[in-house]
Amino acid sequence: MSDLVKFTLDGRELQAAPGTLVIDAAKKAGIEIPAFCYYEGLSLQAACRMCLVEVKGAPKLLAACTLPVAENMVIETESPTVVDARKFTLEFLLTNHPLDCPVCDKGGECELQDMVFRYGAGESRFTEIKHHVDEKQWSPVVFFDAPRCILCYRCVRICDEGMGVKALGVTNRGAYSEITPNMGSHLECDECGACIDICPVGALTSGIYRYQTRPWEMDHVGTICTHCGDGCKTTLGVRNNEIIRGNNRDRSGINGEFLCIKGRYAFDFINHPDRLQSPLMRVNGKLEEVSWSKALVAVAQKFSEIKAASGKIGIIGSNRTSNEENFYLRKFAQAIGTPHLDHRRTGDIATLLDALSGRADALATAEDLYTAQSVLVVGADLAQQHPFLAFQMRANWRHHQSRTFVVTQGPVREDAFATRNLRAEPGQEIDAVTTLADDLKSSGDLIVVFGDSIRGDSLRKLVSFIASLGVPAKYICLLDYSNSRGAFDMGLIPGDGGMSAPEMLAASDLDALWVVGANPLADAALASQNAFVVVQDLFLTETAQRADIVLPAASAYEKTGTVTNTCGQVQRLSKALNVMGAKPDLDIFHLIARGMRLDLGPAQPDKIFSEIRATVKGYDIPLPVIATGGAALTNPVNGNVPHAAASAALVRGSRDTLFTSGTLGRYSPILSKVMEAPGGLYRK
Amino acid sequence: MIDEVIGSASAIAKGLSITLKEMLSPTVTEDYPDAPPKFQERFRGRHVLERDEYGLEKCVACFLCAAACPADCIYIAAEENTDRVRISGGERYASVYNIDYNRCIFCGYCVEACPTDAITHGHGFELAAYETSALILRKEQMLVPVPEGVKPPVIKEPAPAGH
Ligand code: SF4
Ligand code: SF4
Ligand code: SF4
Ligand code: SF4
Ligand code: SF4
Ligand code: FES
Repeated sequence: MSDLVKFTLDGRELQAAPGTLVIDAAKKAGIEIPAFCYYEGLSLQAACRMCLVEVKGAPKLLAACTLPVAENMVIETESPTVVDARKFTLEFLLTNHPLDCPVCDKGGECELQDMVFRYGAGESRFTEIKHHVDEKQWSPVVFFDAPRCILCYRCVRICDEGMGVKALGVTNRGAYSEITPNMGSHLECDECGACIDICPVGALTSGIYRYQTRPWEMDHVGTICTHCGDGCKTTLGVRNNEIIRGNNRDRSGINGEFLCIKGRYAFDFINHPDRLQSPLMRVNGKLEEVSWSKALVAVAQKFSEIKAASGKIGIIGSNRTSNEENFYLRKFAQAIGTPHLDHRRTGDIATLLDALSGRADALATAEDLYTAQSVLVVGADLAQQHPFLAFQMRANWRHHQSRTFVVTQGPVREDAFATRNLRAEPGQEIDAVTTLADDLKSSGDLIVVFGDSIRGDSLRKLVSFIASLGVPAKYICLLDYSNSRGAFDMGLIPGDGGMSAPEMLAASDLDALWVVGANPLADAALASQNAFVVVQDLFLTETAQRADIVLPAASAYEKTGTVTNTCGQVQRLSKALNVMGAKPDLDIFHLIARGMRLDLGPAQPDKIFSEIRATVKGYDIPLPVIATGGAALTNPVNGNVPHAAASAALVRGSRDTLFTSGTLGRYSPILSKVMEAPGGLYRK
Repeated sequence: MIDEVIGSASAIAKGLSITLKEMLSPTVTEDYPDAPPKFQERFRGRHVLERDEYGLEKCVACFLCAAACPADCIYIAAEENTDRVRISGGERYASVYNIDYNRCIFCGYCVEACPTDAITHGHGFELAAYETSALILRKEQMLVPVPEGVKPPVIKEPAPAGH
């Protein structure tokens, strides 16, 4: 390691690695140098002059955001000259800035407001008429109020560097410079809202949150996004039992500030007018609203009858209910003696775990994707299907020049920076991968990310090929939906002699089918005409329409519990609100069990989680990590995985894009409003 | 005896002189409820939500009054002004503005916080109610009427189809 550089900052003797920027060194020492254009993780801009500091011997003030520390440098960050300079910078920024704070969405969390408050540049000597530009709507998500913009270019850089979209640029010069969207009059992009989030002022505002409230008026509930398997933390702003916005400005959680459109905006399915808020029961062939007690008694009675007559009950669990619910549902299935339990497998995690048996430390997390020296993506359009993992890979390439290899059936966004990209039809990918052997061998530690087409034998082939390379390798098996991994880990899989989900649907002698948070009848028919069908869901899906009894369920934002992301990290859900009429699936299970006089133990999420930690392989994870909102990695690679062989053929990804999310996405107004929806895979 | 008479007479005269003096000085007793009471200008009574000279509501739903309120009794819901619905002079307006007089302590902080002088203390004080829910006043109850000769804020109907 090279020697540390010694310098003096505000009278303190400090040391830092050569090349460290003064602004970073100061931050590390607990000294804040104000900055608008500088942003951690993005390229340097030096556009705002807010970070000026005084360096002894330098004729002028220097920008701390681009100045590396040097030996014996003496820096003052709050000297009278510096304070004056900042005041003038602010006065300049305010020359064309409107006096909008009372109506500006940013008011209360505005960096410009804070700085003017600190340096007192409230009075303006500028008496000319301010340059005014009308506010523009660029998309259902993004609005732009040019006069408020301070031209820090953060939005331009996050969109280009962070999202890899490059949808924003600057047109005109000087006082007339303006941030402009890629289509001139409107935006066509990921609609992620990252630009809005990162804007230090209220120039970019969100169509969803706009003019709704004020930051201090909300409760902030940190929970896990319910849309894809990446498990981003989203902090929901809740006011009056209503979610008003989602973001993750506090950088808690695995995703830092990253969120895609779904995590940031697609919480709106919660208030969709079609949301079920009362149980439905089929009376004379039609579904009618009934009370909870009536519906629950009917379900319990019917299940008890079928159980007494040793009939066949099939249970299809959910990819988005919590681990606790899935665990309890499996207990339920055991208690009523049915082996017919399943969920929709969206990736072949079973075979992967089986193939890796005995190897510790073989699963990668999103954090590893940011640090690994090379990444191999096989059979997935990452930017569409796993936006956060794609973001991590992009950041790794930008910051660490990692090497990326892509083997997909069509063009993907990762092509832009891939060292090698190959096209291969689904099922043929492994042959293509083997041609990369030499590249992979020389690229240092490797992470292999693979999609649903890599399953069964081809997955085993992939694992043994990678093992033969002799480089340290870790895997991410891509799973769709927020808790596919948890559903598998909690054992929502057929018991001995049990039928898989497609078999249940095809069987002609099923007495009852109980579907929890899934929609298997969307693209299949139920062969058993006389089966008694119970469905727990948020909406009247195709499956619910066929049901005899529909029970309105709560979404992930309305309950507590834990979920496991596609990398195997367990994180905790926090309850943001109540929706009248709906109940968490766990409560529904418990009430049905009580009606059937089954004793399944306590039905509180915390207690069940203790049971999970004690009994589920790999889930003996540290409780404090979970309790404080962290992500704890499970370690399930410790033995043969039952059903690995049988399940491979059933694996079927959701094929959701950036703008779709199964049933929830169909009922999210914002996802149907943006013009990019529904999007498609392998287009760019 | 004589002394006693003179003494009493002078005492009566003294007493009556005060009566006479008070009879001639202006009355301070209020005739309330037979006549409206008079207030000092600065009296802080029931709030009044003001309008500007065009009849638009002054309140832009900035929530600053609610933030300033030590009793946490102001509830606001904001909505955006559009070409079709223009309620206030700013970009947004308060679609709901409630003050809970069960809690209000008439401190005047809200009035001080308001950047648009939209909220003021009026002189209304007859706030008694038979139930607490009646003490939550809505925007409509506190808003001054549209001044005479001014067109009220417009809510334009959408243009009929085909136009
Ligand atoms: S951007 Fe900040 S300073 Fe400008 S109007 Fe909005 S809150 Fe006020
Ligand atoms: S919403 Fe996202 S993709 Fe669209 S312009 Fe902003 S940063 Fe770029
Ligand atoms: S819109 Fe916001 S983020 Fe973009 S340049 Fe202007 S102030 Fe900066
Ligand atoms: S990447 Fe996935 S988990 Fe993250 S915000 Fe988007 S949908 Fe949610
Ligand atoms: S009354 Fe004044 S302070 Fe209160 S929300 Fe309206 S404008 Fe803001
Ligand atoms: S932060 Fe240094 S110039 Fe903007």
